[in-house]
Amino acid sequence: MADASVTKPLTTGGRAAVPATGRWRGSRGRRRLLGQVLFYLGVVVVLLIALFPFYWILRTSLENNAEFVQGVGGANGFLPAHLTLSSYIDDFTQLHFLTPLLNSAIVALGTTAVTIVVASLAGYSLARLPIRGGGAILTFVLLAGFFPVLAMVGPLFLLYRDLGLLDNIYPLIITYLVYTLPLSTWLLRNFFAQIPKELEEAALVDGASRLQTLRKVVIPVSIPAVFTAGILSFILAWNDFAFALSFLDSPSKFTAPLAIVVFGQSQFQTFYNRIDAAVVVITIPIAILVLIAQRRIVSGLTAGSLKG
Amino acid sequence: MSRWRTRGRRPMSAVTVGALALIGVTALGEGLASVPVRAASKQTITFAESGLGGEGKQTQKAINAFQKANPSIKVHILVLSPNSTTFLQQLEQRFIAGSSSPDVIESDVTYPAKFGKAGWIKNLGSFKPNLKQFFGTEVAAGKYQGRTYAIPWFDNPEGLFYRTDLIKTPPTSPAQVVSDAEAAMQADPSLKEGIAFEGEKYEGAITAFLTVAGAFGGKLNPAHLNTKGNREALQWLYDALYVNKIAPAAVTGWQEGNVESEFQAGNAAFAINYPFVASSVATAGGPAKGHVGYIPFPAQKGGMPGAALGGEMLAINAKSSHSAAAWKLIQYLTSAKVETARAIATGDPPSLPKAYTPALLAAAPYFKQVETLNKYAQPRPVNPNYLQISSDLQTMLSSVFSNLTQPAPALAQAAPLVKQDAKGG
Amino acid sequence: MARRLRLPSLGGTPPSAGVSRKADRRLGYALVAPVVILLLAVTGYPLAYNLWNSFHNVILSNPGAPQNFVGLQNYQQLATASEFPAALARTLAFMLVSVVLETIAALGLALMLHRAFRGRGFLRAAVLIPWAVPTVVSALLWTTMFDPRSGFVDYVLGLLHLPGSNTTWLAGEWTAWTAVLVADAWKNVPFIAIILLAGLQLIPGDVYEAARIDGASAWQSFRRMTLPLLRPALMVALIFRTLQAFLVFDIIYIMTGGGPGSTTETLSYLNWQAFLVSTNFGYGGAISISLVVISLIIAGGIVLVMRPKT
Repeated sequence: MADASVTKPLTTGGRAAVPATGRWRGSRGRRRLLGQVLFYLGVVVVLLIALFPFYWILRTSLENNAEFVQGVGGANGFLPAHLTLSSYIDDFTQLHFLTPLLNSAIVALGTTAVTIVVASLAGYSLARLPIRGGGAILTFVLLAGFFPVLAMVGPLFLLYRDLGLLDNIYPLIITYLVYTLPLSTWLLRNFFAQIPKELEEAALVDGASRLQTLRKVVIPVSIPAVFTAGILSFILAWNDFAFALSFLDSPSKFTAPLAIVVFGQSQFQTFYNRIDAAVVVITIPIAILVLIAQRRIVSGLTAGSLKG
Repeated sequence: MSRWRTRGRRPMSAVTVGALALIGVTALGEGLASVPVRAASKQTITFAESGLGGEGKQTQKAINAFQKANPSIKVHILVLSPNSTTFLQQLEQRFIAGSSSPDVIESDVTYPAKFGKAGWIKNLGSFKPNLKQFFGTEVAAGKYQGRTYAIPWFDNPEGLFYRTDLIKTPPTSPAQVVSDAEAAMQADPSLKEGIAFEGEKYEGAITAFLTVAGAFGGKLNPAHLNTKGNREALQWLYDALYVNKIAPAAVTGWQEGNVESEFQAGNAAFAINYPFVASSVATAGGPAKGHVGYIPFPAQKGGMPGAALGGEMLAINAKSSHSAAAWKLIQYLTSAKVETARAIATGDPPSLPKAYTPALLAAAPYFKQVETLNKYAQPRPVNPNYLQISSDLQTMLSSVFSNLTQPAPALAQAAPLVKQDAKGG
Repeated sequence: MARRLRLPSLGGTPPSAGVSRKADRRLGYALVAPVVILLLAVTGYPLAYNLWNSFHNVILSNPGAPQNFVGLQNYQQLATASEFPAALARTLAFMLVSVVLETIAALGLALMLHRAFRGRGFLRAAVLIPWAVPTVVSALLWTTMFDPRSGFVDYVLGLLHLPGSNTTWLAGEWTAWTAVLVADAWKNVPFIAIILLAGLQLIPGDVYEAARIDGASAWQSFRRMTLPLLRPALMVALIFRTLQAFLVFDIIYIMTGGGPGSTTETLSYLNWQAFLVSTNFGYGGAISISLVVISLIIAGGIVLVMRPKT
């Protein structure tokens, strides 16, 4: 940092040294304004790309079936001519969408709980304890995160069949660890490595055991990192489709993403507005989570993959 | 249990122990929760079916009546996916796991051969079923190597709907379907297409094709797919999309439900679909209401009126320990009275000709046509490897409907694949 | 500068009074064991099982058939049946095109987010939502957007009298790939951008100041300074995204089902079909093994190309 504090004043000085003729300054000001306008235009475009599709699906979900079949156009344009909540009502009354939502919540929360406990312990061990082969373990954890999901589907299908665990949401908790453990272990390991050792050493000198130190000293200062790992784990577990598709049979066991897709496969009825309504329903909690915890998500994603 | 179960695990035992221990923990809670509570004299049988909404309700009603008549039998309904391919996967997972539940299984007309060959469902010969009372085409779908594995429950023939207000006399040849569609589109600019059919890459594309194929003398025989009749039928569908342009490219994203909506909303003059459209148009209303004609696809010279056999059958799990009770339920559900009541309530066409009673025809006159179509309905291949055959047929049809491959080369390419599938390659 | 990317150092704490190093080590193994065992259960076990299956005849829908050793037959089927080479080629093509386009877009987005401006937090949250929603949502969202009747894309093309307003996107080979690519990019560009943004923030500001003194243009300083310093972050993002793109499944299953024809069947889709449609776990196992091997080659290749030159 010493370098920066020296260079900064120098450069400012340098810039000031450029002769400031009126003409020069004017064209520069105009160019700067133009740049500013273009920049904000870019921001608006990015915002539209990110958010407009959500508006469109909200729009479709609020259409009645007749309008949906007629398609978009004429009076039924950016805004549907008639708004109705019937798709939402159908989702919850006829299609029992609450059940898959609850199933998803159970599995995602279960995965999150297992992940933060297991990843915290391992992260601490890898950051602080004198184990041999820590580098190999970290590499293995990273590689496991890249393991092809579809290459897991076949063998785990056979295993769960043999154990009578097909069509059961609980084995998904173990399965989803492949999504969550690699990122969380790295994130927490990197976080623990940054905690000043003096904190722990003081406790250890006072005669506390390692585990006591972990519980009383390390965990309390690590709550934010653990929370971050938890949010990311929840999002990753909530998002799965391939495992649920392969292992679950009964609609009463479906997770929310699977249920949404199966709505669209139903024979003899058109469910498109209902799919769209379900998509809106499943998006809302995630959107709220992101708005509340975006800083953590960003820092978690980067700390888990980059070492700052 | 099954042979491959132990085989599959043998070389993994060391790793499996670890995995078992971990997963065992989660399994425990679930296992404890699902220990069945069994009354001493009462037996509970499980019935796996795919009914949603109205169909599901009607099944429940019939089951309630059955339980009242047979107080010693309790029927538990297991609802599986309404999508036929997913439904099949779900059933297979249970069979593969060697489960004795469900006892009674709703089965699409394309499954019994596969289930029978695998030994998953019972040979029903010992119950001496009276097969003569059903439509013969569907009875054939329940047989594999001469043995009967499934009983027809309802018999859904896919055929051709047309708007009687736009087309005064029904067409009598495939060419006339084209000219009628063109005339209707000219006369009524609110029409968006002449004909709507299922063109998405899924099972329905096969039945739509089969409906047309019969009219050209085509058949879905896996050993001889590349026949003149099949080529002409596929060419007709291709031409409808890309030469006569009576069908929009959008059909490549349509399933039965979309085709139904198009017809009901008054967008289409013709639609290839199942009988339920007649009842749904009558209830939902719209421009097509009161103007619904339903016929087999009109035959070309040398062909027969075209209709594709769809429908559901009932079978018994080979591992079921309640097969007598299961058979009782099947007999009850396939009795004429129950089938007529279901037809009136849900529009599911009875598998028994004698269930087409005057009362039914009075309540829903289109069942007269359904009865006619059932005589012509052609089955899809009765083959244990139908799922693979279907997958290759879907790919073939999808590439033709999307104008990636011309009909003749597409059939020529698919024929050896399908032949191989049928042999179990 | 101290803040730069490096592999984590793995030394433990020096022994302190009160705790013995040996006990610490034992505790260390105990704490790390659950992660290792759990990840072995969900990856190592499938890997070994797939390997075994791939040399055997394991077709579940044919319980009567013997499950004998068949040597390389399943692998031969990979090479001879046209579906595998075709799927491999289109999967690699999709991977290359999507990663290149998404990385360029993400770089732009990262530079935008790197600038301090009013509303930056909101923009960051807004672009994170597409990343955070399930892939199922992005696939269905874009299926709706590209629908010829109720979709936005054809509607707006029609309003503006542009060509393509009557396109059935998912029915054509290239248009279907376009739709898949858009859905994939919409979800994944934010992820790459966040990683690159973190990389940008690690670059000290004085580097630019120094460059400015030397009279470097914005483009020059971007090419000569930003890109090289961004290399580690870029590598991480590329490994993540390239492998994800290589293994693409959810979007394909939901948007196209591999169609039209078989023109959008990727390797993962083929593998799913082998397992759950054909229930051929021997052939499926062979596909799985090739997925793992090719993934390793890809990851290794990226590391080789991108590693810092000494």
